[in-house]
Amino acid sequence: MTGPIPRVPRDLRLDFFRGLSLFFIFIDHIPENALAYFTLRSIAFNDAAEVFIFISGYTAALVYGQSLRENGALFATAQIYRRVWQLYVAHIFLFVIFTAEVSYAILVVQNPMYTEEMGVGDFLQEPHLAVIRALMLAFQPMFLDILPLYIVLLASFPLVLILISRHRLLPLAASALIYTLTLRQGWALHLRPSHNVWFFNPLAWQFLFVIGATAGYARINGFWPFPTGKWFSRAALAITVLIAVISFSWTLHWVFDPFPPLLAKQLWTHTLDKTNLAPLRLFSFLVLALATVYLVRPESRFLRSRWARPVIICGQQSLYIFCFGILLSVLGHFILAETAGGFWRQVGVNVVGMSAMIGVALVLDWYKTASRRPRPDRSSIPAIPSE
Amino acid sequence: MRLLALTTGFLIPLVAGSAWAQAPAHCAAPRELVEDEPRLPALAERFRDHQPVTIVVMGGASSAGTTPDSGYPHFLELALKGHHPDTPIAVINRSVAGNTAEQMVERFPKDIYPNQPALVVWETGTVDAVRGGDVDSFANTLTEGVEAIQSHKAELVLMDMQYNPGTVSVINFQPYLDALHQTAELQGVTLFMRFDMMKYWSEAGAFDFINVPREKRATLAREFYECLGERLADAIDFAARIGE
Repeated sequence: MTGPIPRVPRDLRLDFFRGLSLFFIFIDHIPENALAYFTLRSIAFNDAAEVFIFISGYTAALVYGQSLRENGALFATAQIYRRVWQLYVAHIFLFVIFTAEVSYAILVVQNPMYTEEMGVGDFLQEPHLAVIRALMLAFQPMFLDILPLYIVLLASFPLVLILISRHRLLPLAASALIYTLTLRQGWALHLRPSHNVWFFNPLAWQFLFVIGATAGYARINGFWPFPTGKWFSRAALAITVLIAVISFSWTLHWVFDPFPPLLAKQLWTHTLDKTNLAPLRLFSFLVLALATVYLVRPESRFLRSRWARPVIICGQQSLYIFCFGILLSVLGHFILAETAGGFWRQVGVNVVGMSAMIGVALVLDWYKTASRRPRPDRSSIPAIPSE
Repeated sequence: MRLLALTTGFLIPLVAGSAWAQAPAHCAAPRELVEDEPRLPALAERFRDHQPVTIVVMGGASSAGTTPDSGYPHFLELALKGHHPDTPIAVINRSVAGNTAEQMVERFPKDIYPNQPALVVWETGTVDAVRGGDVDSFANTLTEGVEAIQSHKAELVLMDMQYNPGTVSVINFQPYLDALHQTAELQGVTLFMRFDMMKYWSEAGAFDFINVPREKRATLAREFYECLGERLADAIDFAARIGE
């Protein structure tokens, strides 16, 4: 394609819901956190991870798809790999923090009651191997399992871009095939030597990323490959509400025993397999996404209100805020565990954590704006929106 | 998902006004953690008719104990014998340190069925959580194991993991706790909430599980497992009541 391409106006819904999912991921990652009853997973079969991966796929196609058209495949790939490198460095940083935490835990929990629990420090027996495994993404304890997924998805994204520029549905078809085969054949990525598998199986989760990318690419070239129409959106909305009722009845049941969990025997086990993105989780997310697109319009006044602003800024700085959020949940949990937290202390830790996320996002936003102030020699270069 | 495990932060206000299970002050536990529905009717009849009761404990390191008479199964036996002086009770401990849920299920035919127990106490999940194994297959293994025990006409108590403020920040227990609790719920099996109970004790100051001086470690383990065995006996007795 030749000639200048009109820039796609920024869709604040992407930033808002990605920001919201970052808050939910932070809250869900603090073990035994009472506020986790109030996140997405209490009213859906999926959780914030699906939202984050979908929107990441969508924006990746938006940003790198435009770059592919303007700068060619080589440059777009270089841009993607710069991002992959940042993620990789963040992963290694989290590994160092985890190692420090385990070393500390082993020191304070020296106790014959906890021989099996101390197995968590087995990797310290062979530090040379542990470091190499971490560098190879083959060591994924606790909170070290999400970034490897994101790294692998983004690292293979140039291929998706090249295929999608041939035909807009080609990656989606290939991706659906891989997802189906993964579920049927039980394909998984193994972590040596433990014989465990990646907690987020990239072979399954790539499907959601590519669905997002297909939708994002459609925004650039103006062709929407998915069904539209009021009846369709309304059906999605109805199903979303139904799922919310069922899921919420489970939440209530686990908190308050006599409350009946609706259809739990039939459905609950089908929502468990987060590793392979269980079809019911995928379905739950997709109808939720359709219902959200139907309910919240891009020009919605709410998205420009001052209440939405902090969430949107977090969503715009998603890479840093994501890593920072994980770090904060580690710290937050550490504080709660060390100080025996009651309900209000938990609320306090959550509020402080989210404020810190917003604060850092504001600083990053300010820095980005300040460093982009028009200079005579650079004003002609269009700003590349963050992915 | 972290639905069932009520945080003790919630529990303390909930139980503040309620009565306590009979126990020495330092190892009393809130009723909510001991009293489950009457899910052991066959055991109840055995206690009523003074028929011999065999209990097999299937678990990992924390059930095996360092010596035969310092683990909770030993204190469970003592407590139950105290509660039911006219019923012959034997607790057989078949726990092996380092076992995953799957390895335990593999041992069922050799270690559980030949003893023809009236009750099986199945303690599991720690090694699975430490190794970070697949939660979905953990849940499936639990369901499989529960059904296998039930098909051998034994009743069952599922026991979850041990709590320690130092380990919860490095081991991701929550998904495994949820899977275990929800399996118990869906299968209608008695659940002994060791994790929440230890968390309660830890926060109430009854036990300090971290920074224990070396010379006090064995004593702590013994005192703690005595409390745990007694509370487990209470929970079993409560679930083995007849009618309402």
